[in-house]
Amino acid sequence: MDHRLYYVVGDFLVSLVIGMVAGLAAWAIVGPGWNMWAAMAAMMPLGMVIGMLIYFPLGSRLGAMEAMIPSMYTGMWAGMVVGMMAAMMPLPLRHALEMGAACGIAEIVFIWIANTILRGVTRERKAR
Amino acid sequence: MAPAITQAEITRAKWDKLAPRFDGMASLGAEKRWKPFKTALFSHMQGKILFLALGTGLDIPFFPGGQDITAIDISPKMLVEATDRIAAYDGTIRSEVMDVHEMPFAPESFDQVFTSCTFCSVPDPVGGLKALYRVLKPGGQLFMFEHTGSKHYPFRQMMDLMTLLSEKIGPSMNRDTVSNVRAAGFEITEVDNIFLDVVKTIKAVKAG
Repeated sequence: MDHRLYYVVGDFLVSLVIGMVAGLAAWAIVGPGWNMWAAMAAMMPLGMVIGMLIYFPLGSRLGAMEAMIPSMYTGMWAGMVVGMMAAMMPLPLRHALEMGAACGIAEIVFIWIANTILRGVTRERKAR
Repeated sequence: MAPAITQAEITRAKWDKLAPRFDGMASLGAEKRWKPFKTALFSHMQGKILFLALGTGLDIPFFPGGQDITAIDISPKMLVEATDRIAAYDGTIRSEVMDVHEMPFAPESFDQVFTSCTFCSVPDPVGGLKALYRVLKPGGQLFMFEHTGSKHYPFRQMMDLMTLLSEKIGPSMNRDTVSNVRAAGFEITEVDNIFLDVVKTIKAVKAG
């Protein structure tokens, strides 16, 4: 993860908000009459689009890839999870928002862990 | 019959169109976030330097002072936007409108070549890197700050998906630039992943 506090807090909050907004959208669109798989398939791309739309105005504050990838990924997961849940049972708004927020937190933690594993130097040949 | 539009003209038109609002897009935020990594990479500048794709000059504040830099870009409008940053640099930057595939420089003209978020957009990346190889002196160094595709799930799939959209307005998100550098004949010395395996610095040499 980025160790600068501004980006840690910024990435976390954006992921949280995108999760909640994608969850809200899935809650508003999907109801118990929906097929669970159809809800998942429809809400994943919608969540990604929501993530992108929220990312764009924030890009000038938080950067490019470091903000865009988590934004799209959070939107996708939150849309998928809340959409599937809303298709399976009547879902109160509060639960949809909580689930979206939980997806946002889980996703940014996943990104931080993945980044810790993947980042770093690989030397292939002794530099001159 | 109207003359065929070349790939270079398409690329130039794309970046010319983007030039006036380039800084206001994600670029400014990205530069702030990448500042320490770019500053560290550019601190290696010495000798006769070619900087590829200067754009609006967002990288210039990260250059160490006193360098002699030839900077090229395919887009004249991007270089117009860079004018103030070039003038403010404490050293020499000669900017020229030029396509990397058609650089008129003599072979082995430069000690170092720097690129910054460039090879996501060069239409023929291996061809462009071969052109850089040609103008580097034997033992010359290539320093790149690039975003690339990922080798890992789920990021690889996401970058592939994003590329479908991003290519319409500018860069590709899924290129394997490290492999392209090797394919052009360079020897990679170091790859430093800065964010996932997507944002990275690449250091390579032209065997002398």
